[in-house]
Amino acid sequence: MTTKSNSISDPRYSCAVGATNSVVAIRGAVPIANCSPGCQLKQTAFLTFENGFQGSVYAGAGNMPSANSTENDIVFGGIKTLDELVKSTLKIFKGDLYVVLTGCVGGLIGDDVPSLVRKYHEKGYPIVAVDTAGFKGNNLYGHEEVVDAIIDQFVGDYHGKKQKGLVNLWFETPYFNQNWRGDYQEIARILRGAGFNVNIPFGPENNGVKDWRRIPKAQFNLVLSPWVGVRNAEHLQEKYGQPFLHISEIPIGGEATSEFIRNVVKFAGIDKLQSEKFIREENRIYYYYLEHFSEFFAEYWYGMPSEFAIAADSAYTLAYTKFLADQIGLIPRKAIITDDPPQKFRAELERLFHDLTEGVDVQVEFEEDGYLIEKAIDGVKFSSGKPLILASSWELTIANKKKALFFEITPPSSESLIINRSFAGYKGALNLLEKIYSASVGGK
Amino acid sequence: MAKTIINLDMTEVENREFRLGTIIGWDGKASDLIQQSAYDERSVKKHGGCAGKGLGCRLCELQSPLNQETMCSNAIVQCQIGNLTDCVLIDHAPIGCSGENSKFNLSMHNGLKRRGKPLQNTLNISTNLKEKDMVFGASDKLRRTIRDAKDRYNPKAIFIGMACATAIIGEDIDSVAEEMEPEVGVPVVPLHCEGFRSKHWSTGFDVAFHGVLRQIVNRHPEKKQKDLLNIVALWGTDYFSEMLKPLGLRVNYLLDCASFDEIRQASEAIATATFCDTLGGYMATALEESFGVPQIDAPQPYGIRGTDEWLRAIAKVAGKENEAEEYIESEHRRIAPKLAELRNFFKGKNGIVMTGSAYAHGLISVLSELGIGHDAALLFHHDPIYDGGGKHQDTLKELIDTYGDIPHYTVSKTRAFQLPQLLKRAKTNFLIIRHPGLASVAGHLGFPTLTMGDEHIPVGYEGILRVGEMLKGVIARTKFNRILKRHVKLPYSDWWLSQSDPFYLTNHPEVLDDLPRAAGKEKQELIQASA
Repeated sequence: MTTKSNSISDPRYSCAVGATNSVVAIRGAVPIANCSPGCQLKQTAFLTFENGFQGSVYAGAGNMPSANSTENDIVFGGIKTLDELVKSTLKIFKGDLYVVLTGCVGGLIGDDVPSLVRKYHEKGYPIVAVDTAGFKGNNLYGHEEVVDAIIDQFVGDYHGKKQKGLVNLWFETPYFNQNWRGDYQEIARILRGAGFNVNIPFGPENNGVKDWRRIPKAQFNLVLSPWVGVRNAEHLQEKYGQPFLHISEIPIGGEATSEFIRNVVKFAGIDKLQSEKFIREENRIYYYYLEHFSEFFAEYWYGMPSEFAIAADSAYTLAYTKFLADQIGLIPRKAIITDDPPQKFRAELERLFHDLTEGVDVQVEFEEDGYLIEKAIDGVKFSSGKPLILASSWELTIANKKKALFFEITPPSSESLIINRSFAGYKGALNLLEKIYSASVGGK
Repeated sequence: MAKTIINLDMTEVENREFRLGTIIGWDGKASDLIQQSAYDERSVKKHGGCAGKGLGCRLCELQSPLNQETMCSNAIVQCQIGNLTDCVLIDHAPIGCSGENSKFNLSMHNGLKRRGKPLQNTLNISTNLKEKDMVFGASDKLRRTIRDAKDRYNPKAIFIGMACATAIIGEDIDSVAEEMEPEVGVPVVPLHCEGFRSKHWSTGFDVAFHGVLRQIVNRHPEKKQKDLLNIVALWGTDYFSEMLKPLGLRVNYLLDCASFDEIRQASEAIATATFCDTLGGYMATALEESFGVPQIDAPQPYGIRGTDEWLRAIAKVAGKENEAEEYIESEHRRIAPKLAELRNFFKGKNGIVMTGSAYAHGLISVLSELGIGHDAALLFHHDPIYDGGGKHQDTLKELIDTYGDIPHYTVSKTRAFQLPQLLKRAKTNFLIIRHPGLASVAGHLGFPTLTMGDEHIPVGYEGILRVGEMLKGVIARTKFNRILKRHVKLPYSDWWLSQSDPFYLTNHPEVLDDLPRAAGKEKQELIQASA
């Protein structure tokens, strides 16, 4: 049936317990997976392997402690198994923070995990518990749950002073957004360049629990994402009286990034001198490169795409569509958001797509069922030449059918390897152009 | 007729731990495990006889308080049934249970390419269950997804995979399957593969085979295909055809990348063989018992002796003994010079295999043929017997009798935290690993690894040479791992890294009463004080 139902073919997100990977993204933190055997391998396969083969670090992937619940645990309760797991993890792992994530099984059999974890917490171990049953939501929901749990159970209350210019960066979902490591670095570089002191909760520039303890001291929270993290910022506002700035569009390219900087500077009320100088320097370099690129763009006569279809999570779909439509002049023919954003964010997302750029309007669709996504892309009558399809590896076959240039921007992605890549900011925009037009050049 | 080992009347499979006595924790000399496994006694019992009271009841098993990321039966069903070309697998589960399907899609893409079949995506659908479904039940969603499966993909069969959540809330997939079958007009097959069900994922293979044996394989074949041999396999390259061509045989690969009709014709084949008795035992035994297709009772096709005996056993069924002897002799001659060259290259080198049980035995045979030392091995499970229980299917005994004892023979299911100890007590230049999670940890410890993704690489005579050539490249990568080791730290404490017994936590449970001082204590107090 081509009508919408509960069914999902070819999934584009995993479940809440996949947020173990958000814990892995905090330096020195150890996730403790209180779930069945298979749960974490499936999550890891989706988020860290079939997503640019990013890999994992420290206590992630194969090193991750997991209860691997058995039939015995289902019948008699799994608390004893979890207790042994927690104890042995504390015994042999070197962790600054332990996060127990409970999956479907613990939730359904009614194990009292918070009590067990509290026992260790009261002894002084830096350990928190979070309910991430897979039936409660997807990995993005799980990520937000983990953030709130660490704030409430580990960071705790704070009534001290705020530091002007210190900003917490709530941005892409670790491992899920495949360029997250590079993107965090680029956005942090930009904010620093503009004069901010940037506190980064996840990724290569995170300093572990030290940075998490710094969160309440920040002047404000910056949520750079259409919806993930907004809930956390609201919580922080309530808990620490911290205001937040919500910007839906990840800035890409000179125009958007400069505007982004000005917005954040204005919100924070810090001095403009440094940020304007930074914008000037960055733009000089960005347009130095863009001028070179423009020769290819003007003179390459073997064909290049003029239209594109995109299907990915809210953040990347919005950011890439905006950049390509507004600054490069590619025509969006289909934009599909696949990460099931909460209803209350959808009207704003629709508006942002209507206002992408002058003369271009695309009706964004919300669909997470791969069968319907494929049908939607299949239904696009691209006008001429090779179109560009930006989606997941599930779309490889439809891209072949449409004779489209294709590359992956969202999980699952099994046709590319990602180490340090960013399509965000000034530098990332140039990488994105390289990626797109490398797909066009040569004898393809 | 003797009682059957496998009961196809039931929709559920008896777990391996009960059926075979599978364990996932053991540490010692391989020859001791052979003795404790009491294969012969178990074999007598399997075939309905009485061996008296003896060892063949229960193996000692080392438990571990600490377990780590691993695989489950549900994932195994996805990698088997989810990789059929014209059947749909429904994951009756919350969405996370379908997380690995994209990886199995990649496996299928590679498998199809290796087998010369056209590229296609896997046909999987999740019922995508939410919290409400846990309370009110999810059978209506399952019915809807079965209808969607029919309308979307017009499959030849629809399989339903049970998950932890649906098993706990008591979803009756058997009834829904039975009820929906007339409506969709194709077999609807329930698979009881919830992840917590069995302590070892390999039960998932049996569940997948059980489903196709009950509802797909033709019970009343009109003809026999005298030149068709079933090979129970995964996605491996088709090396079996070239080995079996001299015997005039064609291969019917089961199950990955197979079509409905290829599975259906399994009962028309002259016999069933496999590249791995852990994988193939259930299917081969049931085909023998209930469909009259004999299984090959022979060592696995690894190393020279194993391959000789495997070919001879098949040739006997096919009536091609002379052709087999000619082929065996010519192959021995053909590989000899290259093998000598490789043995020279690997002189003084050692290797460790870390895979599932029977497959590890095959791989270690190949290392032995290459002259590579192997003082240690890690197996993710040990089956003291396989379903066939044949005279020549005691793969561990076959290995040790042919190539000598293994002093550090460890059974442990993907517990990466034990690698520092395992790699400390045995010399090695590289590791051969299947299943994710361990190879990168071994890499951090400075060792290069060969992830044997195409499981047919080591098969047969040429397989020995193929592995040898690949290992040259693997050993060269030591340079990368040496550098990595200097810069990357494992998440384990110095105390743990200083231990030498991988089962120290099991053998000294009292150490868990003595936890390191809570490092967070002071800081916690500070925070509380500031509050």
